[in-house]
Amino acid sequence: MNRLTTFIYSRKAAPWVFLAPFLILFLVFKVFPVVLAVLMSFQKIQGINTGEFNGVANYEALASNVRFGVALRNTTLYTVGTLIVLIPIPLIIAVLLDSGRVVKATVFRTILFLPALTSLVVVGTVFRAVLNPTGLLNSAIEQVGAQPQRWLEVAELAIPSLILLAAWRWTGINIIYFSSGLVNISKEIYEAAAIDGANAFQMFWRITLPLLRPTTLFVVILTIIGGFQVFVEPYILYPGGQSPGDGGLSLAYLIYRTAFNSFNLGSAAAMGVVLALIIFILSLIQFRFFGAFQREG
Amino acid sequence: MLKRTAALSLFLVVVLGVLAMAPVVGAQDATELSFWTFVPAHQTFWEDSAARWNEANPDRQITLNATTSEYQAMHDNLLAALLSGVGAPDLVDIEIAKFPTFMKGEIQLYDLTDVVAPYSDVLLQTRLAPYQKDGAQYGIDYHVGTFVMYYNKDVMDAAGVDIDSIRTWDDYVEAGKQVTADTNGDGEIDRWMTHIETADRFSALALQLMNGGGIYDADGNFILTSQENIDAVQFVKDMIYDSQIASLTPGTGNHDQAFYDAMVQGMFGSVWMPQWYMIRFSQLMTDLDGKILVRPMPVFEEGGYTSTMGGGTGTAITLQIAPEKLQLAMDFMAFTKLERDATIRIWTDLGFDPLRTDIYDDPALAAPLEYFGNESVFTTIKELQSNLAVEYLGPLYADAVDVLRSQTYYEIFANNADVATALQAAADQVEQAAQ
Repeated sequence: MNRLTTFIYSRKAAPWVFLAPFLILFLVFKVFPVVLAVLMSFQKIQGINTGEFNGVANYEALASNVRFGVALRNTTLYTVGTLIVLIPIPLIIAVLLDSGRVVKATVFRTILFLPALTSLVVVGTVFRAVLNPTGLLNSAIEQVGAQPQRWLEVAELAIPSLILLAAWRWTGINIIYFSSGLVNISKEIYEAAAIDGANAFQMFWRITLPLLRPTTLFVVILTIIGGFQVFVEPYILYPGGQSPGDGGLSLAYLIYRTAFNSFNLGSAAAMGVVLALIIFILSLIQFRFFGAFQREG
Repeated sequence: MLKRTAALSLFLVVVLGVLAMAPVVGAQDATELSFWTFVPAHQTFWEDSAARWNEANPDRQITLNATTSEYQAMHDNLLAALLSGVGAPDLVDIEIAKFPTFMKGEIQLYDLTDVVAPYSDVLLQTRLAPYQKDGAQYGIDYHVGTFVMYYNKDVMDAAGVDIDSIRTWDDYVEAGKQVTADTNGDGEIDRWMTHIETADRFSALALQLMNGGGIYDADGNFILTSQENIDAVQFVKDMIYDSQIASLTPGTGNHDQAFYDAMVQGMFGSVWMPQWYMIRFSQLMTDLDGKILVRPMPVFEEGGYTSTMGGGTGTAITLQIAPEKLQLAMDFMAFTKLERDATIRIWTDLGFDPLRTDIYDDPALAAPLEYFGNESVFTTIKELQSNLAVEYLGPLYADAVDVLRSQTYYEIFANNADVATALQAAADQVEQAAQ
């Protein structure tokens, strides 16, 4: 055996050799850009081959940046909206599908998952048609006697429209998460509860919900991260992503515009760092709230 | 042994296959030029031009590798390629609102002043201005983009308005009062003179420019809050809230399907848009065949600006082109964009009003167009170019357009905000963002 094979077969080196492909890609394409972005956020970069350190000026400017404020508010509203819609509804549907009382549950599961597989260009086109003044949604609203709305033309209706789109797109995926969590709950617990005389609601409230906690934590955090990073939904729903009156302006979209349209890379990097911090802090709170830091037992 | 033979034969098959797929190189060793655009028609235009070039120049053959990609993606990729120093094409289309982005820092485009110089007598100088910086020319547009008024003949006739009597904006508003009506008596207006965009820039910016406003002036001053701009935007706003001849554009912009549908249904008597919007009519509003008439923009006062320009795309040569290809690329650029024959094709093939004024009397341009009432549309366009208001660009142009489109116009037109205050807020935001 030569030295190379000795090295590869050694107990210390082998794990690193196996991990190397991932680690190298991770360092080059994830860690390095993040470090670079943090560095850029302290620089004034407006144009090719420009760049000088300007301290925290980019961060100070954010405080008085009107559009950043609007984007932060919109993104927060959107995240709260998706949390309200995308946790309970998929949870309830998953429990129903899992209960064995639904005929052809697999068919429903497949149908509900289909939106996640649909091409985004198609989704954008279809939803623009659905939300059109004479579109499907308004027809349905008129059927129940309510006032039709100009969904895509009024700033205040942008976030509801985006939440609607997100609900359609992500419900199926969250159902899958909850379903896999439900599989792990032993049926014997339910049987025991039934013998004790518990009704369906009590079983859901006292058994399903508490035992699903790790899954729920996971889905909540994913939804929060997805909510704060929202980019694709406004981009496909509005031409070029530009919503009327900035009603659908999201943080990620503003970062993109600041970098690639205004060519203000320093400011865009600063926004990115702030966004990362928000997500980091919210995730920490979540972990604490759900007790993920407590030792088992 | 057998294994080795099999592997060797497989290797040979692969090598031969790859060789067979390689492009056959012409006897003269054609020079490869790459070209990026975001408009499929532009790609066809350049490929046709390359074919003609190769016929005319047997000793300087070109292989044009043209690629069309989506608008945002193409500009993003170009910016990334220029930033990183590798991967940019030789020739590239840059849209006018994106152009200022590429004028920041060290400019990564070649100065085309010498390419344009031999043609300067016959080119509309005002249309070269948007792509200049410090006296150097960095891009050449396809068209002038002259603003015209498109009237729906049926709607105007039904209202009893003679469109040829409309000469000033005041005439236009008066006629608008006659057109705007509740024709079916349900208490809601269903026929409007026009409509105003809330999430795009054409409705307002045209009048701003014609009134001597705009985003920059000739000296490079940022003039968004000038009195000319305030007056023009106020004039547009009054069409909605005062004379009430205009609704908000369905779908918020003139490129939205909701607007096309409303226009086809006869909801609007007129719309002002640049000349290149003609193809939107003929291709996307086919039901209006023969009903749309193109007329001059109304003027603010006799002797004032006759029209202005809107939109545009400048073709540029990037600094990443191999030095030995540069002269060829420049000659090919002139051949495609500036030669007499080529500029006629810009009208006949692309349907755009060309920059070259000495061809305006060519029979090919004067031919009547069936869709547009069988009239010679170019005769109207030609008249308008006597006194065009110029659109000047500057470093904050892209940001300003962004804020105007996504906030300011919406606030003013949809939410009835005060014009001066809203424009001031926009200017503050744009200037602050550039700090």
